[in-house]
Amino acid sequence: RDGGGLRGAMAGPARRLLLRRGLGAAAGPPSTRQLREAEEAAPVFQYAGKAAKRKDRVFVWGFSYSGALGVPSFVRPDAGWKKPRRIQPTPYRLETEEKISSAACGYGFTLLASNTRDITKVWGMGLNKDSQLGFQRSRRDQTKGYEYVLEPSPIPLPLEKPQQTRVLQVSCGRAHSLVLTDSEGVFTMGNNSYGQCGRKVVEDEIYSESHLIHQLKEFDSRVVQVVCGQDHSLFRTKKGTVYACGWGADGQTGLGHYNITSVPTKLCGDIAGVNIIQVSSYGDCCLAVSDEGDVFGWGNSEYLQLASVTETTQVNVPRHLPFKIGKVKEAACGGTGNAVLTEEGNVFVWGYGILGKGPNLTESAVPEMIPPSLFGCSDFSPDIRVARVRCGLSQFAAVTNRGELFVWGKNLRGCLGTGRMEDQYFPWRVTVPGEVMDVACGVDHMVSMVRSFT
Amino acid sequence: VRGPRFRKLKIGAGHRLDVKASGVFVLGIGHGNKLLTDLHNCHLTKVYTVGGLFGKATDDFSDTGNLVEKTTFDHITRENLERILAVIQGTNQKALLMYSNIDMKTQEAYELAVKGLIRPMGKSPPIITAVRCLQFALPEFQLEIHCLHETQQYLRKMVHEIGLELKSSAVCTQVRRTRDGVFTVGDALPRTRWNLRSIQEAIQNCQLKVETELERTLG
Repeated sequence: RDGGGLRGAMAGPARRLLLRRGLGAAAGPPSTRQLREAEEAAPVFQYAGKAAKRKDRVFVWGFSYSGALGVPSFVRPDAGWKKPRRIQPTPYRLETEEKISSAACGYGFTLLASNTRDITKVWGMGLNKDSQLGFQRSRRDQTKGYEYVLEPSPIPLPLEKPQQTRVLQVSCGRAHSLVLTDSEGVFTMGNNSYGQCGRKVVEDEIYSESHLIHQLKEFDSRVVQVVCGQDHSLFRTKKGTVYACGWGADGQTGLGHYNITSVPTKLCGDIAGVNIIQVSSYGDCCLAVSDEGDVFGWGNSEYLQLASVTETTQVNVPRHLPFKIGKVKEAACGGTGNAVLTEEGNVFVWGYGILGKGPNLTESAVPEMIPPSLFGCSDFSPDIRVARVRCGLSQFAAVTNRGELFVWGKNLRGCLGTGRMEDQYFPWRVTVPGEVMDVACGVDHMVSMVRSFT
Repeated sequence: VRGPRFRKLKIGAGHRLDVKASGVFVLGIGHGNKLLTDLHNCHLTKVYTVGGLFGKATDDFSDTGNLVEKTTFDHITRENLERILAVIQGTNQKALLMYSNIDMKTQEAYELAVKGLIRPMGKSPPIITAVRCLQFALPEFQLEIHCLHETQQYLRKMVHEIGLELKSSAVCTQVRRTRDGVFTVGDALPRTRWNLRSIQEAIQNCQLKVETELERTLG
């Protein structure tokens, strides 16, 4: 608009009006000084204060129809036009009431535990046909229980001191679960047809809608780790001894026979007198790591898991596996493949299936190292190391010290979380909005505990 | 015969460098234009030094734009910034593998991934192969970025997004290309040496490097 022209054409009173409105002020772009003053006068917004803490979150992905992901809208959509989501292919945030310190994925169900002193310490979701999530009272019929639990529901543990005891760890198997507390022993629930809950097998027992949660206290010292195999349970005590109970037809109880055991019994064999610092199992094979970095194995060896020491396919006594790969820090047992993590931060795999070294390596009796460059280690960032390694039934997961999650293996119903449905033959990054602290792998789903960036 | 040595020169430019950025800019003279196309097809990484400033957000992501918002930044530490940079590297690593059009199910893909040689050899969106924090002194910080197929405005947008991730805001103060494929700042001619003799010397010095790189990548 031509201010000068307007002024010239207007009559006297109108002109004064324009001047008063300030249109007579300098036209054109604001000068640098005006810009700077406007900038300094602008309000400052604060999105995070100096004491802002990083938040802890839980992300889930995989097969959702069993309710194992804990998001009810995937199975029963909240709007009529929405379709149910059978598979969640990428990490999805799960809202939890408390900070989750331990998670475990079973065969179609999940347990989340927090080490709080509040009354509710453990939540469960997914399949509950064998009461592996305890008794979940149905709201429609107070006498019946839920068969499928679609969102994280509290599990009522019969604690003596519910406001003092803390839950340290949870573990899930095919149809049973174990909850480890700091002062009240181990609580077991779920299917007990093979004695995997540590109590006597009752013939024709009906496991669904059962209120029974068994407590195990008789060990030589405090139990510090509980591990569930497919139909057996392993307990590791502070003194370094291992106890087992449950199905033993593959020798996975390691007690020298192939029968079932319904009371936790101490293992001998090559681990007698050895201080075991970690045990792992998920299928029918078991691995244990001693404080000196040696690996011991027992159980199913049909997939060459223990072929380095024996040709028999079922090993029922723990045997030392003489691998020359350095001091082992952690072991993870899957259904057909095993992985160990050494002190230097390298991952070694062996067994059968997709092991992580391309499609050509499908079986190996001795550990093969996965090149560190696949986990992001390069000349640019030479100090990346793998901090944790975990196994699901046919997939592997590794967490680096930078908080990045790598997965590989069979992508059963989207459980790898890569966003694609194809199998992954070498470690692949999963995009998670946060620093991954820990991950739990199941048959067809995974749960991870993540800390936000800022 | 007398007269100027060169009457007409065909000059072609290599990868773009916009007005607000500075650094290495590759030009090809005469027959060198063909080499330029070949070098472009090699898809080599470029290295930039990017400077940023926390506390402001502008509309064109640089410090000369119109102010959109001011925020506090005293909660940001070097660890926070490095964590975000690690995630940026991670997601771009995935993009690197995805756009390289290699079938992930082959043994060949595994071998290349181990050596770190997977690279998109065709058109792809901007990919960052490596990021590192060089300096950090609130409110300023400086990053070294190795990238492919990028534009300088994309780098400025990245600085803005880093600011948003850290629950604050950031603007880009400086974009300087320190390496373009095989050409580094050491090979580049400063303004004082923009004369025929220096140009001829520079061409001779770089000839060997360019030839070896072309042979290695294109065969």
